[in-house]
Amino acid sequence: MKHTTRLLDIVERSLRGPLMDEEDFNDQHVTQGLARVVKEFDIKVSQDQIVNQDDALADRVWEAAVDFLSECGVYCQTTNRVIEFSKKEIIDILRYAPDTVIVGQGTDAVQEYARKIDDPRRPLLMGSSIGTPIEDEYFIPSMISYIQEPEVDVTMAPTLTNIYGYDIRTRSPLEILSSWREVELTLEAMRRAGRPGMAFTGIGSSISDVGQLSADGPGGLRQTDLHTFGIVSELKTSYEILNKLTHILQRDGVVDPYANPIYGGLGGGMDGQAVLITAAMIALNVVFMATCVGTSPTHPFNFNDTGKELLIPSGLSFQAIARNSKLMSNLTNTPVGGPGTKTLLYECIALTVMMTVSGGSRILGPRSATGSITGHFSGLEARFTGELLTAAAKLDRAKAEEIVQKAYAKYEADLTTQPYGKHFKDVYDLKTVQPTKEWQTMYDEVKNEAAGWGLSFD
Amino acid sequence: MPSQYDTLEKAILSGDQESGIAEAVKLIEGGQDPVLLFTDCIEPLLDDIGEKFSRLEIFLPEMVNASKVVKGIHGAVKPYLKNEEDAASKGKIIIATVSGDLHDIGKNIVKAMLEVNGYDVQDLGVDVPTQAIVKQAKEFDADIIALSALMLPSLPFVKDVVEYMEGNQKVKVIVGGGPVSPEWAEEAGTDGYGNNAIDAVALVKDILSS
Repeated sequence: MKHTTRLLDIVERSLRGPLMDEEDFNDQHVTQGLARVVKEFDIKVSQDQIVNQDDALADRVWEAAVDFLSECGVYCQTTNRVIEFSKKEIIDILRYAPDTVIVGQGTDAVQEYARKIDDPRRPLLMGSSIGTPIEDEYFIPSMISYIQEPEVDVTMAPTLTNIYGYDIRTRSPLEILSSWREVELTLEAMRRAGRPGMAFTGIGSSISDVGQLSADGPGGLRQTDLHTFGIVSELKTSYEILNKLTHILQRDGVVDPYANPIYGGLGGGMDGQAVLITAAMIALNVVFMATCVGTSPTHPFNFNDTGKELLIPSGLSFQAIARNSKLMSNLTNTPVGGPGTKTLLYECIALTVMMTVSGGSRILGPRSATGSITGHFSGLEARFTGELLTAAAKLDRAKAEEIVQKAYAKYEADLTTQPYGKHFKDVYDLKTVQPTKEWQTMYDEVKNEAAGWGLSFD
Repeated sequence: MPSQYDTLEKAILSGDQESGIAEAVKLIEGGQDPVLLFTDCIEPLLDDIGEKFSRLEIFLPEMVNASKVVKGIHGAVKPYLKNEEDAASKGKIIIATVSGDLHDIGKNIVKAMLEVNGYDVQDLGVDVPTQAIVKQAKEFDADIIALSALMLPSLPFVKDVVEYMEGNQKVKVIVGGGPVSPEWAEEAGTDGYGNNAIDAVALVKDILSS
């Protein structure tokens, strides 16, 4: 077992940190704290340029995030106390953060590594709908549509809409059954696709500690898989979350948590958001001992992260991390477009290119159609994302900005109309698990267009 | 907006509760009709704040702070209102994230939007057991129970609340959150579905006006 001393230290801080009302934490620590550092560190984010070109700004975002986190802390909802770390402690802990990890088994194992800005090495792709609901009958074919793609390195299951005909109810036997069912079906899909050792992220179907941990062990989620959990926005935890962490550490598993700040929420606009995303990912390592740190910042009304208001601060945050730490960072692509729309593919271009040149280690998704429309996802958009990762790794930030702007202009108007597209069964042949001609043609057309913009798919 | 409200407007927009209350009381003691203070200044201003947030020209903290100032003003000017005039609330709403779900920002955004639109909102927090929601709705004499559910395994608890409230003609149950669709909300027997905070306000207006 690793990190026992640190885990006990976190628990100790959660029991001894200052008592505080949660609303006061939101207002005084998060909102006011961010406003302070945005001013002190002169964080002024461009309103138009999507791929940041200013290294000094990225460095100031990093400094602001460390300063902010050291004053803000992480709120424990169970004990109503603030888990605090000083600036020195944060920096010391980050010094020991892992910068590489191998996930998966046998010939399906892949290595993730910390990347730098304009790094020529391709980031990893977790090709998946990331927990989007799916009917039982389409679970395996939809997963095969991702796993069979050579561009996909690791994967994650969609979420079952029910378990043996019953609604899945958290903290109940039904949730435990659904956790096990998710693992069983995922392993079966990987076996059928011929990649049984591929790492997968779990457990997506369950939200409680008991639901998640029941299937994280022998016969379930493997040590070599990615063990995930989300912290509560903004910068909050609970013993339910720390229970998950404890179990993962006991299993010596890869800790792969995420934090999803809400745009326009406690962090306000883009300036605060850039600092908040960075601070949240730092906290994932400092407080939650993450091997890899992830985020999927979210628009409050459209539920995506492909609008400028989130592409800009996300990219800046990834650059801040890449320039100032060795953290392995990952970003979830949550577009509004769904399968069978060009919107989805243009969104993939913008976010994937932006993240690749900004130093991210892994991209997740795409979580098509915001991940909330049952069955609206397919493996083809993951294939495209993988190809984009390879092509974008050949670019520098200046060229990336040019391409991202072209892609963005193609879908900006669709962000509010949200073309959710079609169900998996309507864009794939279920027998061959291949895209329909219509969907394939759309992909070919957009790929050709992107090649014309300067993305080399050779 | 008439210029005599400039200072009050500034205080509300900047979230300065002390100045807001002081200015409101000063205006009333100077002869301003307290009801007109709300109808001519505060209500249009709050509408404008809600609109600006829906376009993300301002953000949650500004909206929450403005709402807090108005709450403070309402409390401070009560002694100046006749009983029949003390009816600033357009309706009473219980809001909660259902059992098993710890997400609170989506709920908080809906709460703030409802408050700036003049509704009296009681927030029960996150991971709230069904019985606590039902009990509190009765004690608060709520018109609407607004439920947030971001995770699929939390949705059955929405159905539980609906079942508990069956037969209660007064209280309407509405729902929103990532995995919820209009079809699911209808099948679950709720009285309405809001895709986001803007939808939620429109839905509440619709329900309470009918």
